[in-house]
Amino acid sequence: MFRTLVGRALVPVGLTVTGFMVVCCLLLYSAIRNGVKHDAALHAANLADTILKSTRYAMLKSDRETLATIINNIGQQKGVSHVRIFNKRGVVSFSAKADEINRQVDKSAEGCIACHRGPVPITTLGPMNQTRTFRNAGGTSVMAITMPVYNEPECFNAACHVHQPGQKVLGTLDVGLSQESLISSLAVIRTQMIIFTIMTLLLTLGGVTALLRRSVFLPLQRLRDFAEASVKGGDSVTTPSHLPDDLDRIAYSIRLLAGKGSGVGQKRDKTNSGT
Amino acid sequence: MTYLQQYDPATGTPEPKDKREVLRLDILNDIKILRRRSLTGAWALSLLLLISTFAWWRFPLLPLPETFIAYLGTPPSPPVISIVFIIYTFFAIILSLSRMMSGIEYYGIFSHIAYLTGFFFFYHVAGALDDNFWAVFAAGITILGVEGYRIRQLCHEGILRNRERLAYLEKTGRLPTDE
Repeated sequence: MFRTLVGRALVPVGLTVTGFMVVCCLLLYSAIRNGVKHDAALHAANLADTILKSTRYAMLKSDRETLATIINNIGQQKGVSHVRIFNKRGVVSFSAKADEINRQVDKSAEGCIACHRGPVPITTLGPMNQTRTFRNAGGTSVMAITMPVYNEPECFNAACHVHQPGQKVLGTLDVGLSQESLISSLAVIRTQMIIFTIMTLLLTLGGVTALLRRSVFLPLQRLRDFAEASVKGGDSVTTPSHLPDDLDRIAYSIRLLAGKGSGVGQKRDKTNSGT
Repeated sequence: MTYLQQYDPATGTPEPKDKREVLRLDILNDIKILRRRSLTGAWALSLLLLISTFAWWRFPLLPLPETFIAYLGTPPSPPVISIVFIIYTFFAIILSLSRMMSGIEYYGIFSHIAYLTGFFFFYHVAGALDDNFWAVFAAGITILGVEGYRIRQLCHEGILRNRERLAYLEKTGRLPTDE
């Protein structure tokens, strides 16, 4: 294949175009996925912030029943995998799932280690670092965000229960959001990009192949056939018509050479028959 | 003719026997070198596969990215690395195609391995290798594939030319006069 003109013309073109398009599509998909995940993390951070603001008054008034109701209602929302609040000691105080209440959280777990890696826990993290992605017990992909409940002057001055002013974090809110819709959207984008790439490749390679075949290879094949026939039949063979200008001149030269050759052959025959 | 007769291209006089043998061996040696060079693309692709395997396993023999960041500072962000990478891939392919078009006899291909390793490394330190591994790998296959094809064609033409010279030498006892 690499010895024919077709192979030598089309292989580099095909390899180059295909390779470059694949690279561009992979980078583009990676950029889109990162952008979508970043937006999802920001959305989760906004939601967690909204929950904290919504429950602030109930916490201030130490209204556990209202707080539990709010948490339960949020937990029943479509797309919310889990909602819970731990206290400072890592025990689940409130949760949308009743069986999680009063359970101790493992500080070395994936979502907790970011802050609890060293002897002194980190108290501020950016939204991307607060999020973690994992598969829950039901096999659903979940993006979870942890947001600390900071101690405020209204908290350590309240009459209900006293927090020490020096205590920076009172507890942690942990919200898990299902990523199934995100994953299916990314799958649709990926499929569309693959289809687009394949169509563009077929169009480019098909177009180049068709044009080359029509403009170069078919006329060359006719010229080749004419040259071979001229060798056998001399100048009695008809010159192919409608060849591109360059090939037309080559065909004319072949015709002249074939005519000269047949003339020389006839002269030789006459000489041989004369002796 | 004397044994030590000088070669006169104007007269087309055949070479002395031992000088013919030297020329013949030279041509055969050139053919051997070209045959070896024609495998450059295959060697480069093998090396790329080896480095890609290391990159896939996150460069197990190197220190962690945090160590590099501590000594060398923060790496460029992944989007910046991707932009530079796209530009490099584009111009590497253009360069290869232009060399192919002009028939330049240039056999260097391993510099691309160094550049691709650099991109693997930068993505690794920036924490974006998982997302961009296949892009770098595909670019490597494309660039080395096109360059390897170009070198192979070049070597093949060189081998054919040398075979013609050899046939001419054995037929007439001298090299073609246009040399």
